[in-house]
Amino acid sequence: VAKVRNVYVIGPSGSGKTALCAALALELKEAGYKVAYFKPVGAGGDTPDEDAVLLRELLGMELPVEKIVPFNSSAFYLWRYEPPGTFVDRVKEAYEAVAEGADVVVIGGAPSPYHLASLGLDAIGIAQLFKPLVLTVHRVFNDLSIDVAIFYQEYLRTHQVAVQGAILNHVPRTLLDKARDVYRRVLEDRGYRVLGIIPQRPEIALPTVREFAEVLDAEVLAGEESVNRVVEDIVVGAMTLESAMRYFRRVPNKAVITGGDRADLALAALETNTSALVLTGGLYPEGRVLSQAEEKGVPVLLTNYDTYAAVEQLRLITRKIRPGDQRSLQLVRENFREYCAYRDILEAIKD
Amino acid sequence: MRNLLGGGYRGRIYPVNLRAESILGLPAYRSVKEVPHDVDLAVVAVPAASVLEVARQCGRKGVKFLVVISAGFREIGGEGSRREKELVSICREFNMGLVGPNCLGIIDTHTPLNATFAPQMPQDGKIAFFSQSGALGVAILDWSLTTGIGFSRFVSLGNKAGLDEVDFIQDAAQDPYTEVILCYLEGIADGRRFLEVAREVTRQKPVIVIKAGASEAGARAASSHTGSLAGSEVAYTAAFRQGGIFRAYSTEELFDLALAFSTQPLPRANRVAVLTNAGGPGILATDAAERQGLAVARLSKETVEELRKNLPPEASLYNPVDVLGDAPPERYAVALEKLGNDPHIDSLLALLTPQAGIPATQIAHLVADYHQEKRGKPLVAAFMGGEAVREAVSVLKNRGIPCYPTPERAVAALAALARYAMVRQKSAVKARECPTPNPAARDKAEEIFQQVRQDRRAVLLGSEAVAVAEAFGIPCARTRLARSPEEAVAIAREIGFPVALKIASPHIVHKTDIGGVRLGLSSAEEVRRAYVEIVESVQRFFSQADIYGVEVQQMMPPGTELIIGITRDTQFGPLLMFGLGGVYVDLLKDVAFRLTYGLSRDDVLEMIRETKAYTLLRGYRGQPPRDMESLAEVLCRVARLAEELPGLVEMDINPVLAYEQGLAALDVKMTIA
Repeated sequence: VAKVRNVYVIGPSGSGKTALCAALALELKEAGYKVAYFKPVGAGGDTPDEDAVLLRELLGMELPVEKIVPFNSSAFYLWRYEPPGTFVDRVKEAYEAVAEGADVVVIGGAPSPYHLASLGLDAIGIAQLFKPLVLTVHRVFNDLSIDVAIFYQEYLRTHQVAVQGAILNHVPRTLLDKARDVYRRVLEDRGYRVLGIIPQRPEIALPTVREFAEVLDAEVLAGEESVNRVVEDIVVGAMTLESAMRYFRRVPNKAVITGGDRADLALAALETNTSALVLTGGLYPEGRVLSQAEEKGVPVLLTNYDTYAAVEQLRLITRKIRPGDQRSLQLVRENFREYCAYRDILEAIKD
Repeated sequence: MRNLLGGGYRGRIYPVNLRAESILGLPAYRSVKEVPHDVDLAVVAVPAASVLEVARQCGRKGVKFLVVISAGFREIGGEGSRREKELVSICREFNMGLVGPNCLGIIDTHTPLNATFAPQMPQDGKIAFFSQSGALGVAILDWSLTTGIGFSRFVSLGNKAGLDEVDFIQDAAQDPYTEVILCYLEGIADGRRFLEVAREVTRQKPVIVIKAGASEAGARAASSHTGSLAGSEVAYTAAFRQGGIFRAYSTEELFDLALAFSTQPLPRANRVAVLTNAGGPGILATDAAERQGLAVARLSKETVEELRKNLPPEASLYNPVDVLGDAPPERYAVALEKLGNDPHIDSLLALLTPQAGIPATQIAHLVADYHQEKRGKPLVAAFMGGEAVREAVSVLKNRGIPCYPTPERAVAALAALARYAMVRQKSAVKARECPTPNPAARDKAEEIFQQVRQDRRAVLLGSEAVAVAEAFGIPCARTRLARSPEEAVAIAREIGFPVALKIASPHIVHKTDIGGVRLGLSSAEEVRRAYVEIVESVQRFFSQADIYGVEVQQMMPPGTELIIGITRDTQFGPLLMFGLGGVYVDLLKDVAFRLTYGLSRDDVLEMIRETKAYTLLRGYRGQPPRDMESLAEVLCRVARLAEELPGLVEMDINPVLAYEQGLAALDVKMTIA
């Protein structure tokens, strides 16, 4: 029986672990490996873990999601506390099932490396269990992000984990030069490898107008054909008409949220690059506003929430790559190929 | 049908109705197809759902114009909007002119044709009236019957799906029966075409517009009513001024002016003489004249002498000329004649108050007689009072002398005549064009815009905005972006010390407040240190800000601080702003606006003169005068830049420093779409 190789992707919450797992898994699959995905500690609550749902589909795995994710953490998981060994055994058992027949198992990290440390299932515990190759991924905000990356590397190294290197992700354009010149040098001076510097691409995993409609429980009054347009930003229309144009023009691909009685603002928004018009308070707009939206192909959503509640509700929309979002998957793979030492990573897995 | 017949239409009328055999005695047809002769105009008043079918039949029949009265189109949204689009495409296919839909029809008093719901045909006259509100139009037509105002034509514009105000204004300009064009508008369909046509038409005939939705709340009401976004108030004001159009702010004013324009010749200039029989109204008229930009004429020595000979010693011989409360008709007549002969007077105002026993009606006749004979100078009257002057007023009206109930309204009418005379004189002189920029400038700017868009930004960095401005020949303080302390030093060496450093972050508006600006740095060491300190300070205030680096800028000597700006209006395109700059812009609001479309160098000079900044630039209290030629040149270039770059939606140069020789833009901001 050939040895199953394990790759473990860890990093802080929101650093892009899932995207990296997806890109890596697809790349490996294309290289001819049989790839499986394993997520020892999931984030799922009532709904199944979204990462597992995505990777399962991408890899065509047959195991059900709950077998891929043996344990779901929560902020109050300790009510379920039992002596450490029990859980470790359960995770191992689940791993055996996932690894069955696979050449490579991509292991997805929990939302943070310290999750479930009390049960011995934090990143160090998992790494010691499966002896994987470890990649860390970090979202870059500023210089302090590099300190976080170094801290990860040092901690893993102290525990004799085979850490392969760090990937700097979502690097803002303004910091790209600095990342390439300064950040890389700082990490390398301390003996750590930078496996990639990936520029920020805000267009990955943007929500669509359809998701807006769902979360707002809204009726689509016009522009039905454009509900798959992505929304990059939200602008609340509560200003005077004269100043509205200033704000509206500065934000492309936005959803404008305003009362149904503000025909002036709705029309102003339609003159600018707008992905959706969200009319709040259940106030049905003037027919002519709908005519104009129809002409411009902009969906008009009517919701009963008031403007404040609608904005609160929209916070529920998270930026996750959903199965079927080919555009985002394509971008993620491009990023991996173009900005990461992906051949080196594949080589390392082969050895 | 009753209106068509009652209106006295002399051509053939064919009623078309599915069920009726005949209508008002005319045989009815079941469809347009069955009409035995060619049809010029079809008035469509069927339910919305059948309009498209009727329009197609008319098209096949070869009908030239459709007036669609039916409602149920764009104004109701959804299905109505699709129906309107379809209607427009049918009219285009068959090459039919379309009025409406959702309108109240058209009237032509000279044909005559009354295809409206207006209960009575208005009097014929020289005024063409186009109204976006059909109901208001019809109400005014009805009211006009009581005032003796006559019309050449009336059109209810409706949804303006086919023909709009610009088409009708253009056509009325050619109409021999029309001398004045009036419009009630809630919005303008195509701002630039409107401006273009207005410039042409106002050379021949006065156009007076009442534009509803001038207030914030009014604009909101207008946009929800018409479904079109109201352009900004400043843009409309600029468009009317540049198009030579008069703007009335009330329906009363609209017709006050129309009356004067349709009956009086234009004055040569703005000097007015006031003839009165009481002191008070005369003084009020004088005040009003000055407010409205009329000059109260100084009478020539000869005129004063003549008046002295013919008037009683108590009379006031200087303008306003007071012929006293007991004035018999002869006194009015002689005074009018003498004033009319004075070459220093361009227009005349005759005031009258009904004092005991004054023969108002007789005076009215004399005034009218005088005017009929002479006709050279415009003359309006204000016969104040009610019962006592009723007959006199109606004599004046019937004999073509505009008569207003107050001196102020009479003066306003004369002032409008004088302003229009100036518009005509100005348009006779060929305006100097703003020079066309080098085509490479646009390519350069587009290239920069493209990079900014790729970066998913709408706001340009200062260094980028300066590069665009410089491409169009706008002089700027040299500005470059540095991404590291070392790069900043290198740029500083190239520009030459001392330099200023400014944080480069599109989100930060007030850079100074957060330690984002350092001035007068005169060594490499100072620049290096300032770079690091600026970035750290800004980070402390705005941890989320995207910092692109720091801009290194040439230090400029102090000059007069001006502001030049561009905003893009949805109807009229770019709007150029000029005024006093610096930090007090919002407080002082000393700014003038012009649309850049077709803007000439003369417009630019006029714009500069409109501001207080102009006084300052000419050299205020011992200051040397500033370079006005260069300023005009830069304003022209900014206007052209805005015209050439449709992607630019906002631009602000504040301050621009004006020197005795030359100018320099210090802080350039641009936003693109």
